[in-house]
Amino acid sequence: MNIISNHSINATIALAALEQVMDPEIGLNVVDLGLIYQLDFDKQGHRIYVSMTLTTQFCPMGETLTAAVKRALERTFGDQEIIVELCFDPPWTQERISEQGKLFLNQ
Amino acid sequence: MSNGFPRAGFRNTPDTAVVPFYLYAAISFLISTILLMLSTESFMQHYFSPQLLAITHGMALGWGTMIILGASHQLVPVLTEKPLYSIKLAHISFFLAAAGIPLLVVGFYTFNMGWPAKWGGRLILLAVIAYLVNIFKSTKTGKDGNIYSLFIVTAACWLFITAFLGLVLVYNFTYPFLPKEVLTYLPLHAHAGILGWFLLLIIGVGSRLIPMFLISKFQDNRRLRLIYFLINGGLVYYLLSYYFHFPYPVLISGFTIAAALSLFIQFIFRVWQSRIRKKVDRPMRISLLSVAMMLLPLFILLAVSAYRISGGQHSRLVLIYGFLIFFGWITSLILGMTFKTLPFIIWNKCYHDKAGLVKTPDPKALLSDRLFMAMGVSYITGFLVFALGIFCGYTRLLQAGAAALIMAAVFYNLNVFKIWMHKPMV
Repeated sequence: MNIISNHSINATIALAALEQVMDPEIGLNVVDLGLIYQLDFDKQGHRIYVSMTLTTQFCPMGETLTAAVKRALERTFGDQEIIVELCFDPPWTQERISEQGKLFLNQ
Repeated sequence: MSNGFPRAGFRNTPDTAVVPFYLYAAISFLISTILLMLSTESFMQHYFSPQLLAITHGMALGWGTMIILGASHQLVPVLTEKPLYSIKLAHISFFLAAAGIPLLVVGFYTFNMGWPAKWGGRLILLAVIAYLVNIFKSTKTGKDGNIYSLFIVTAACWLFITAFLGLVLVYNFTYPFLPKEVLTYLPLHAHAGILGWFLLLIIGVGSRLIPMFLISKFQDNRRLRLIYFLINGGLVYYLLSYYFHFPYPVLISGFTIAAALSLFIQFIFRVWQSRIRKKVDRPMRISLLSVAMMLLPLFILLAVSAYRISGGQHSRLVLIYGFLIFFGWITSLILGMTFKTLPFIIWNKCYHDKAGLVKTPDPKALLSDRLFMAMGVSYITGFLVFALGIFCGYTRLLQAGAAALIMAAVFYNLNVFKIWMHKPMV
């Protein structure tokens, strides 16, 4: 799991919010699953850009997950516009799952 | 990662292109098990009888094909990385097949090869053409295509060949034009469907979905390509042997298919070994059981061929062979995969607007575990008892087995309709 961000404090807050968004099939949150690639906060504090992926392109849960990520951040950063974009370069692999995530899946 | 935020849009298949197929299949399964109960006497006779033709087509088309058509509308984009070409074509194929299948089944059951069977066959063929066009247009071809696309497109072509051959055989009942009797061509039609359509599609989809569900990084495209050529090679050899009189068609094709199956089972075993997700849920376990069940009919086929079994014993083994395929392998796979996919489709519909906003229930909570367990127990009991009944030629066993299979179908239907009628809880 390697998440790029230009604002470490805001990124920590955002990731805490995103840990509440679960992939319903796997039962693991999108952060530990390694779906979040990048979190950027504009200097004026108006917008948050999220670059995320899915375990597979055209994942049937894709639209729901991206909408859930947007809503979770809207709840935390109410006054800012949230822009979520999907990225498949590089594609998601199992290596992106966090150690905690692997422990959960190993149970 | 590439620069910034590269856009990657997608369009999911709406549930209207999937769920009607599931509901139709559930009802077909129930009707087929009831027909099974009403036709136990037919299992004491030759396999070519109106009742058995009706049950076989109810299971192969109403149950197996309908659910696979629906599921593939959902899964083809995942496998081919391209959205489904047309939702309208998906709806058209549903309505055509939904109208054609009962006509064909009634035509067989009453042995009326006039308008019911003919219109049934025509509508089914049109449904298959609509599906074929949709799949072709939804799949990347050439260098951009992947091995899964190859499996799916080829399977859809075999489905067309099967439906076309079937319609030819229906016409041959009223206007005999084929040089030999129908029984000669029946194995061609049956195996184009069983191996070309069901086996190829199930292996193509399974080789992508099982690693995805188990979160396994094992991938072996060379092995999958070999499996693809072995299945198609065996099937083509078998079909051409009718015309060119190749030696040992059943034995050679049987061994080719056996080699393909053993390679696939090894593939699944390697996926299992390298999986990250250790806890495997019940629907997935039943689906994996179906992989092993692929081998049972093959043993029967090779036994028939190797020992040159003939007469009444041959007919009984053919009955067991068909039963193992439709009520064993295909049914166990569907029983498992329905509850691995349907709860998520309905969950997505009900909670799409709520995820991330409020705590939503687990998709698995949409199905009843008790009904699932009851279905599993009655299915395994019914399957074993009925298979034993065919083997022993004992009517009471056949009736008891059919009763348990009806129970399994009832439990399955209750669970499917429970999931479908789920109302958002938050």
